[in-house]
Amino acid sequence: MNSIEEKLWNYIDGNCTPEEQQAISLLIEQNEAYRNTYNELLVLNAEMATIELDEPPMAFTYNVLEQIRAEQAHKPLKAAIDKRIITGIAAFFLISIGVLVIYMLTQINWTSDSTGWRIPEIKAPELKAPDLKNVFSGTIVQSILFVDTVLGLFLFDGWLRRRNMPKTA
Amino acid sequence: MQSKLSDIELIEHTLGGDQSAYADLVKRHQRFVFTLAMRFAKNREDAEEIAQDCFVKAYRSLQAFQGQAKFSTWLYSIVYTTAMTFLRKKRVDTTSIDDEMTCVQIENKPSAYDAHNIENKSRSYYLNMAIEQLLPDDAAIITLFYKGEQSLEEIAQTLGMEANTVKVKLFRARQRLKERLERDLKHEAKELI
Repeated sequence: MNSIEEKLWNYIDGNCTPEEQQAISLLIEQNEAYRNTYNELLVLNAEMATIELDEPPMAFTYNVLEQIRAEQAHKPLKAAIDKRIITGIAAFFLISIGVLVIYMLTQINWTSDSTGWRIPEIKAPELKAPDLKNVFSGTIVQSILFVDTVLGLFLFDGWLRRRNMPKTA
Repeated sequence: MQSKLSDIELIEHTLGGDQSAYADLVKRHQRFVFTLAMRFAKNREDAEEIAQDCFVKAYRSLQAFQGQAKFSTWLYSIVYTTAMTFLRKKRVDTTSIDDEMTCVQIENKPSAYDAHNIENKSRSYYLNMAIEQLLPDDAAIITLFYKGEQSLEEIAQTLGMEANTVKVKLFRARQRLKERLERDLKHEAKELI
C-alpha cells in the first residue's frame, strides 16, 4: 500500500487525528512530491464528486407501484388472514378449556380414607333443564360472555378494515 | 407539497395506506438505487430489475424499518443483498459466460465509441468508464461514498463489512481508478496525435 497516498486520502477525507492532520499539512507545504500528489488526488476527488447518476427509465416509479399493486391483488387468502385473528381464536379456546378444567377440579372430592389411596370421587353434575336466570348470574359465565363479546367486536373490526382496504389502495 | 416531507414522514404516510407517499419515496431515491444496481449488474436491463425488486422488497418490509439508521442506508443494504442474490442466480443460469468475457466486452465499448465520438471524450467520461470497470463492490463503495453521502460506517453497515475493510477497499478502488484513468487518458492522447 502506498503510504503517502494513503495518508493523503485520509487527510482529504478528514479521517486523521488533529496531530496527523497538522503533520500532513506541514508535509504538503514543505515537500514538493507530497504537494504534487496531494493536488492530483484533490482533482480526482473533486471529479468523483461530480459523477453523474444513471437515469432509470421514465416509467420506473409506475412499474414499481404496479408490481406492488399486482402483488397485493394476488395475495392468497391464507396469507391475507390476520395472525391476530388466529391468536384470538386460540386464546378463546384456551380460556374456555382452562375455565372448564378449573370448574372440574373444584368439583372433585379429594378426601381419602386412612387405608390408602383411592381414586377421587367426581361428583357428576345433576342433569336438570337449565335455568337461564341461574346460568347467567354466574361470574364465570359472565366473564366468558365478556371475552366472546370482545372477540366478536375484534373480528368485526378486522372484517370492516379488510372491506375498506381496496378503497384506500 | 409532499416532496418536502422527510423520508420518515413519507414512510409514516405509506404505512397509513397512502401509496402516493411511497411513489414520492421511490422518485426521491430511484436514481441512486438504479446507479447502485448498475454498479453490480453492469447493464441497464438487469439494473432495472434489481432496482425495481429492491423497492418492492422495501415496501413489503417497511414496517420492519425502525428508523435507527437512515432510510437510505437501510434501502442501500436491500439493494446490495438483492443485487448479490440476482448475480448469484444469474451466474448459475449462465455458466458459459465468465467474468473475463464481460470484462473484454466492457473494455471494447469505449473504443467503439471513440471511433464516432472523439469530440465527446472528456475526463469525466473516462472516469465513468473506469468506475464501470471496477469490481462491483469497489464501484459500489465509490458510488456510496461520493454520491450517496454515506460515511464509512454507514457503507460498512450497508455492505455488511467492517468500517476498516471499507476504508481499505475505498483506498484501493481510488488507486485503481487513478491508474486506469491515467492509462486511458494517455491512450487517448496518443490517438489524437
